[in-house]
Amino acid sequence: MHGRVKVRTTEEERERKKKEHALKVRAYRAAMGRILKKRDAGELDDEMLGLTVQILHRNPDVTTLWNIRRECVLEKIKQLSEAEAESNKSDEVQAEAGAEEKPAAPEDKLQSVYGQELNVTEQCLMVNPKSYNAWHHRCWTLEQNPQADWQREVQLCNKYLKYDERNFHTWDFRRFVTAKAAVPAEQELDFCTEKIKVNFSNYSSWHHRSLLLPTLYPNEQRDRPMSEEKLQQELEMVLTAAFTDPNDSSAWFYQRWLLGGGAQADQAPKVVAFRMGVTGAVIAFKKPCPDFEQLKVELSSNEDSWQLQSWQPADSRRTTWKNQTPIDYQKDRSYSLKLSEQEIKLLPLPTGDGAFYFVPPHAASSCSKELLDELQTQLQSCFDLLEYEPDSKWTLLTSALLMRAIDATANHERSLEHLVELEKVDALRKGYYKDLAACWTLELELAKWATSIKFPKRFELTSESALTSLPYGQYLAIADELELSEELKEELGDRLPQTFAELKLQE
Amino acid sequence: MDFTTFVKPTNGGSGDADAGIQELQFCKHVKYIENHGKQEDDYEYCMTEFLRMSGIYWGVTALDIMGQLDRLERKHIIEFVKRCQCSTTGGFAPCEGHDPHMLYTLSAVQILCTYDALNEIDCEAVVRFIVGLQQPDGSFFGDKWGEVDTRFSFCAVATLTLLKRMEQTIDIDKAVQFIMSCCNQTDGGFGSKPGAESHAGLIYCCVGFLSLTHRLHLLDVDKLGWWLCERQLGSGGLNGRPEKLPDVCYSWWVLSSLTIMGRLHWISSEKLQQFILSCQDAETGGFSDRTGNMPDIFHTLFGIGGLSLLGHSGLKAINPTLCMPQYIVDRLAIKPQILSRP
Repeated sequence: MHGRVKVRTTEEERERKKKEHALKVRAYRAAMGRILKKRDAGELDDEMLGLTVQILHRNPDVTTLWNIRRECVLEKIKQLSEAEAESNKSDEVQAEAGAEEKPAAPEDKLQSVYGQELNVTEQCLMVNPKSYNAWHHRCWTLEQNPQADWQREVQLCNKYLKYDERNFHTWDFRRFVTAKAAVPAEQELDFCTEKIKVNFSNYSSWHHRSLLLPTLYPNEQRDRPMSEEKLQQELEMVLTAAFTDPNDSSAWFYQRWLLGGGAQADQAPKVVAFRMGVTGAVIAFKKPCPDFEQLKVELSSNEDSWQLQSWQPADSRRTTWKNQTPIDYQKDRSYSLKLSEQEIKLLPLPTGDGAFYFVPPHAASSCSKELLDELQTQLQSCFDLLEYEPDSKWTLLTSALLMRAIDATANHERSLEHLVELEKVDALRKGYYKDLAACWTLELELAKWATSIKFPKRFELTSESALTSLPYGQYLAIADELELSEELKEELGDRLPQTFAELKLQE
Repeated sequence: MDFTTFVKPTNGGSGDADAGIQELQFCKHVKYIENHGKQEDDYEYCMTEFLRMSGIYWGVTALDIMGQLDRLERKHIIEFVKRCQCSTTGGFAPCEGHDPHMLYTLSAVQILCTYDALNEIDCEAVVRFIVGLQQPDGSFFGDKWGEVDTRFSFCAVATLTLLKRMEQTIDIDKAVQFIMSCCNQTDGGFGSKPGAESHAGLIYCCVGFLSLTHRLHLLDVDKLGWWLCERQLGSGGLNGRPEKLPDVCYSWWVLSSLTIMGRLHWISSEKLQQFILSCQDAETGGFSDRTGNMPDIFHTLFGIGGLSLLGHSGLKAINPTLCMPQYIVDRLAIKPQILSRP
């Protein structure tokens, strides 16, 4: 029960309501009793359809009554097809006898059975446009009917979306019927554009759009959601929308998706760090890899190769795994690692006591000149808006994201400043901004680490800002020493990542 | 029984900074749930018989969280549940005379787990009902009439988990594949079917599903967590989709999902607690969807459950995945997956 305001009523009004309710309860009980009795007796007839509709009009969520209607429909279809078979038989007899008259076409009767169900669902959707049951019954009826008019259903969606452009049931139904009616994706995209033009605050329409674009304008490298050219146009469109009402979140969400990395196609677990030495080996993945034990890991050097077996998880998320079997490392040989179609070339440690591999997180996607120009223009527009509205939350966040899309390293400090500002103007989500700042900081720190002289044995957090979390902790599994603040260590507790030095040989 | 001892002041009686915060109307809520359904001719009660089994689950769970389970007749409830098991399919109907459905099958099993009474029913028949509703693409029908929805995937794995029959019954990998086919690239959220818009209620179902099947690594936690924490509005309440009104039940769907994902600290717990408490009906007891609206049993569970997840005093702990008292989940030795903070 949603959205029913509690109102003060007079004694008189309450009495009246009570009487009215008592009548309704009695009517419901009587109808329900009659329906169940008829169902037991197998009377799936027109009276049954009439009885169920009485209750459904008021309360379309009574699933069982829809089930009974479906039983009635199936019964009618059966009867009609039997009658048809019967009449075909008699046709033959009549044809033989030379008669010419034909009975009423059973197809018309069948269509009127389906038509009645569609009408009932339409009436019920007027009462409750969010009734799962009524929508499902409509889908079911249409699927039963080989002659269903899908175009008409598309029109119905257009109508319903005018009443409520955010009703997700209508959008779901729209996707179902446009597929059946074979509406081209281009046409659906135009429909979305029209909807968004009428009202920018329409997350449902932006969502529908996000499904269409990657198929209509695919990106070959899959590092962006769609082709660069289309992306540029979308960025332009969405910024206009966002600036129309900067407090409305719909367009900003879409904008952040556009600036993101596109569909993650990496099915195979991606190795980000590996180190081996006489005490064993550690391996870290970009994302948790709970099924790592099932993968074949092969270490090879020249013509020789060895299976690395018996791995154990080194963290609770299973992003890092350790192997405590000794490895006979020879420093004059070069090694490589093979697992699930990836071959990784290992580098020797500067100290000569092992080999390793490391790739820092978030390698920025390359940007065409045109796209870069667009991003610069957008950033400038955001800065202009911030002049007038320095506390505009979405503008602060989006400009930080734009800066990072343009050059994350050069704009690092400035993007962090925006997050500090956001902690103030959007205090509800302080915890989120703190963690996001930690992410951006670690991305930079890990990239710097890879080029430092202490790499990979010692990791020092050089950032001045106080971190409250340590994202990308798995990348540090190859270090021996972690130089972190005492506060952070305390905060992390047993979530502090294990280092390679802590790897002990099995007894 | 004197239950006033359960009532504790919300902030230790100091009342300094939080002077304006309402206190939990403990006794009134207990009375509200206890009285719910005592008047069988009540209009609301009669009109909601199509979901009675879930209604009982909401009431039983809320009372148990408040430590007042003995206010309801255990025996009567178990008898009712037993009468609703369909002898042909093994599934449960919401009440007598209605048809069995996945939704009410989960509610029935949840009630029986709380009462430690699974031995009272034919559990193998329940397993058969659920297994029979899985489709070749891994999805689940709600009943034989073919509606597909991620809610039913959640119901299926939750029921089987409670019955300890998830292994070697359904095709888990296929079921996971279907859930992931409903994941949206834009926001990391989930809808009711592939391509459907993200919605907090369905996100709870899918995150809960992945928690029960121990596949939370498949989530894009940063993306989804951000979208979820953006559901919190100025009032402290959470909505279910962008630009919608806040609601106590959405507060639960979002709050539990964030808890499972280890990202509860991305919203303001304090403000959310204030919002939930503002949705109490101080006269009749019970919680409504929003401040000033009519209370109902559904929002009462999610109000109490939300407060429990936020650590409100005087309430038993609730499990975010199964929305059942934690001690019951422990008693069954079930461990839904939960992610740690970054």
